[in-house]
Amino acid sequence: MASNVFDRRRINGPQRSVEPLYTAKAAEPFANGRLDGRALDQVRPIFIKTGPLDAQSPSASAPSGSAYYEQGKIRVSCAIYGPRQGRQSNARMGSFDCDFKYAPFSCSWRLSHIKSSDEKEIALMLEHAIGPAIRLEAYPKASIDAFVTVIESDGKAATIAAAINCISAALADAGIELYDSVAACSMSMYGTQWVSDCSQAEENASTCSLLVSRMPSVDEITYLLQHGKTTPEMTTQAIQACSNDCTRVYAVICRYLQATLE
Amino acid sequence: MASLILSPAEQDFIIRGVESGLRADGRGSLDRREVSLRTGMISQANGSARCRIGNLGVGTDVLVGVKAEVNTWAPGEPEDVGSVVCNVECSPSAAQEFEGRGAEEINVELTQLLDRIFNGPQSGIDLKKLCIIPKQAYWVLHIDALVLDVKGNIVDTLVWATRAALLSTSLPRVVVETIADEMGNMQAEFDVVDDPEDLTPLEGTERLPISVTFSQIGKRYVVDASEQEEAVAQARITVAVSPAMEICAIQKGGILRGFPPSLLSEILQTAQRIAREELTRFGTHYSQAERQLASQAEEPNTGSTFLVTF
Repeated sequence: MASNVFDRRRINGPQRSVEPLYTAKAAEPFANGRLDGRALDQVRPIFIKTGPLDAQSPSASAPSGSAYYEQGKIRVSCAIYGPRQGRQSNARMGSFDCDFKYAPFSCSWRLSHIKSSDEKEIALMLEHAIGPAIRLEAYPKASIDAFVTVIESDGKAATIAAAINCISAALADAGIELYDSVAACSMSMYGTQWVSDCSQAEENASTCSLLVSRMPSVDEITYLLQHGKTTPEMTTQAIQACSNDCTRVYAVICRYLQATLE
Repeated sequence: MASLILSPAEQDFIIRGVESGLRADGRGSLDRREVSLRTGMISQANGSARCRIGNLGVGTDVLVGVKAEVNTWAPGEPEDVGSVVCNVECSPSAAQEFEGRGAEEINVELTQLLDRIFNGPQSGIDLKKLCIIPKQAYWVLHIDALVLDVKGNIVDTLVWATRAALLSTSLPRVVVETIADEMGNMQAEFDVVDDPEDLTPLEGTERLPISVTFSQIGKRYVVDASEQEEAVAQARITVAVSPAMEICAIQKGGILRGFPPSLLSEILQTAQRIAREELTRFGTHYSQAERQLASQAEEPNTGSTFLVTF
């Protein structure tokens, strides 16, 4: 469909471009172990800190709880507002709303300031994942809001999992009544191998990804998302493996929360 | 989804009923309502379908149109595949709360869910066949769904309608020829054949997944929840199953509860069983309808399909 009409006032580049020849091929994620030398079922090291955004003196505009969460290269922060006056004045139960935003510099490509549909969907996922843990009936007519900002992301599913973990630490910091803390973990599939907590480079090469969030001491799966095709046996196996990872992440969160009380 | 306000007594009635295996409209916990499907009702689209799930002519109603467009390839896009773009819109005719920006959240949720099921290799659509010339041009399938009425179980209605629309989709034939330009380089060019009779059906549609949505009510779960049941449901889980019995997507929804792991594995097995039954039923009905349509083709066409001649 190349048109032969030239604009003579401009300097015209060639009509077709050819991709440069790359000397090195992109590394295969699992040719010799994982890219960062982790075991296949190893979750990246986690760092949590609660209360980075809390005000030093009580003020109405400060969040009631906050948390900062790192998992490998992923960095997420979360602020909790509430329980505060909700929109519905006759609600029997409180409402829980999430707001999720990638910082414009958080991914390898630049993101817009305007919220994309992707971010809106992740916000919904977070609500569905965290909602079951909150004792909403204890907060009639109130609303609890979580605002999540991704400062740096590395792997989409892993970032969502990190956001869930961050919110549950922040909710504990805000003193919201919970049934249990929610811990989340993601997995990706390569051929017939499931690999825990994949980075962006690893995720790009995968055929299927799974995200599980659960409340380990209640033994309830609060959120489950599979994207891609597997056999039912593989799915069941992955849910099991992912649940085990969640328990490990849960232990880290709980140990930190306990330490903050002492 | 649509917020129906029930009294505590009504809620209790539904929950206890489901827990003892009884539903208000007399169905078993794994039975669907009546499904009615019509395909090829929009002459301007490449494929279309309308699906209604509900008894006595009342139910969730979804209209899906598939429109194919030729897109020019841009650097950064995959080189030799076409693409699928999904969009769901809940019409204010379905529920008053969808007026204005009220439907925004549900539109995003359903669009992403549809995208998760139909965009990518898990849908079975042969995306390689949608490529016209690698690194130059490819087909984009725009799947646009319009939710006309909501009476519970919007997800399955949407997936059934989309599935049927894709099955009825056919693309115009494309002629690709290679010609040499003045420099002697070989260049590929293509032409879309503008003949409404010369169409090829979409490839890979026999592998399209079907979805089964479970709603957790009390300690049990039901398939194809009605509007009232949805108002008391604590959680929802959608499982998409391909004809080869592979799991194509799983998504949980609902803010109130989670699922115990034992219930989850039971759900996965049940989803497979239901999907197998429904796929065979769907397949036979669809081929019957095709045959009927073929026999009608002999008669003069006075139907809704007409052509604008220039």
